[in-house]
Amino acid sequence: MSPEQTSLAFRENSVRALQDPALRAAMKQATDTFGTKRADAFAPVRDLEALRDRASAIRDDVLANLPMYVDRFVASATRAGATIHRAKDAATAREIIRKILADRGARRIVKGKSMVSEEVDLNSHLEAAGMEVVETDLGEYIIQMEGETPSHIIVPAIHKNRRQVGRLFADRLGVPYSDDPQVLTKIARKAMREKFLSADAGVSGVNFAAADTGSLVLLTNEGNGRMVTTVPPLHVAILSIEKMLPSLTDLPAFLRLLPRSATGQTMTSYVSVITGTRKAGDATGAKELHIVLLDNGRTEILAGESRDILKCIRCGACMNVCPVYRTVGGHAYGWTYPGPMGIVLTTLLTGMKKSHPLVDASTICGACVEVCPVRVPLVDLILGLRRRKVRDRFNDPRERRGMEAFGKAAASPALFALGQRLAGAFWPVVRALGGKDVAGRMPAPAKTPLRRRLP
Amino acid sequence: MSGADRGRLFLENAAKAAAGTHSVSDTGDLLAALGRVVAIDSPVYCPGVTPIERAAAALFPNRVSDYAAATVTVEEVFGAIAETGTLVCSSEGGRAVQAGLLPAHHVAIVRRDRIFDTLDDLFAAVAAAPPTNITLVTGPSRTADIELTLAIGVHGPEKLDIIVS
Repeated sequence: MSPEQTSLAFRENSVRALQDPALRAAMKQATDTFGTKRADAFAPVRDLEALRDRASAIRDDVLANLPMYVDRFVASATRAGATIHRAKDAATAREIIRKILADRGARRIVKGKSMVSEEVDLNSHLEAAGMEVVETDLGEYIIQMEGETPSHIIVPAIHKNRRQVGRLFADRLGVPYSDDPQVLTKIARKAMREKFLSADAGVSGVNFAAADTGSLVLLTNEGNGRMVTTVPPLHVAILSIEKMLPSLTDLPAFLRLLPRSATGQTMTSYVSVITGTRKAGDATGAKELHIVLLDNGRTEILAGESRDILKCIRCGACMNVCPVYRTVGGHAYGWTYPGPMGIVLTTLLTGMKKSHPLVDASTICGACVEVCPVRVPLVDLILGLRRRKVRDRFNDPRERRGMEAFGKAAASPALFALGQRLAGAFWPVVRALGGKDVAGRMPAPAKTPLRRRLP
Repeated sequence: MSGADRGRLFLENAAKAAAGTHSVSDTGDLLAALGRVVAIDSPVYCPGVTPIERAAAALFPNRVSDYAAATVTVEEVFGAIAETGTLVCSSEGGRAVQAGLLPAHHVAIVRRDRIFDTLDDLFAAVAAAPPTNITLVTGPSRTADIELTLAIGVHGPEKLDIIVS
């Protein structure tokens, strides 16, 4: 998505979301189900805390040595036959991918689910160049058909109910209406199978990359990740630099944590480990593999105080438990990544000027920290951004003046006492002007301040 | 873990992931099991490369050479993981990993001595020099993208049968 000048309208979007009963019901049902499934999936795991420690330590090591791991990945992936392209920002990444596809005459593109491709707004760029881009994850397929963006990083159409999907398919695909998810899934399978078999190229995201072998790791339940990366002759993968792991031997810890955290499964149906292109004697693999390594501000994040957000493995557990996300849904956040991880990443990637309203979209309850499988300190990160918001003067000027006045008064006993007397004296006026709204919400000032009641 | 325990644990976990599970002790058993899970006259893709596959292939008169045109793929796979009930498919030796993906029914045969205890054991064995493609398969293709309601058979097989031999 291209950053715009105006700030994200989180507050206005939330008010609208609260008035949408279908959305509220869908969000409640989905996030409740996620909570139960996640808890069930982790229940039999012994030494869960040790597993989280191990995964967290691996991610810490990756971030501490990221340039080295990226260089190692580039060298080993190149050896395995892949072509690496480095993109410093979203515009560069879009253009590199368009050019790779256009130079090879690719017109029909099948796409695996990729939040990074949403981050760089890839589809519209390819479509503007005359290419047909088909999202093949069922949830992405639904929202692409509806002209929407994902509202959850794992389940993009979480905000829609089965009747809405049934009507959409009936309208757009000319099939008889059904609200049975199994029937709707079969309809999508049939429509997309033709697209896969005739596609010129597959574009995918990446869950993890192994630096020492140059391998790409993709997790999908549907099998679309496998289709996109093995059926067309050309595979373009978009990979943000922080997704490195040192080696494939580090992968098991994440395979035990990610599916359980994301969907409450013990294991994702399909895990593809792709190392380079099809070699002599191989019957599997794309003939050409291009990997677009995206920075888009991450090197800068790495150097700053919020760098721990780059440990995130995109499981979505933090949003499923977040009281704010559960209430307003993902679209209210207004950009690619919603929920607690989204607040932090969006603000860092798009800047405080655009994202400062998001920084308030948390109750700081800490539920996200409790579930994060790799121990991203989300509350600390959000509080850090709030401090920056105040420092950079993006908070409401009335709030700022009020806090400045309070700060001065609190530092001077005489001024503080004067303030207390004034508050008492003007309380009837405040109550009369503000009416029930004020009187009902604000306690009346004490007749004798606490300070004077203490010995 | 003994070989028998490993095989049992693997099948138990694979069944939890909604795979059909079968355990056989000799070729006669294997062919009988195949006859139970596959209609003999279906268009079957079976590479016929390993000894097990050659034995299996003889059972099906209507074999096709293009897996995209098959309704069933019958193949021996690289290995399995007991911890998670996972099949390990590999491109090593010129195998078409996607042959187990396109047809609606995937019948995978795993040799008992090819079952790893854990994910760590598998990756310790392959991490130094991985082949072009390793795919871990746990249960049939699935989605919960509509109201988090499980639906089977999105892009991959709607039916997965595993035979430990």
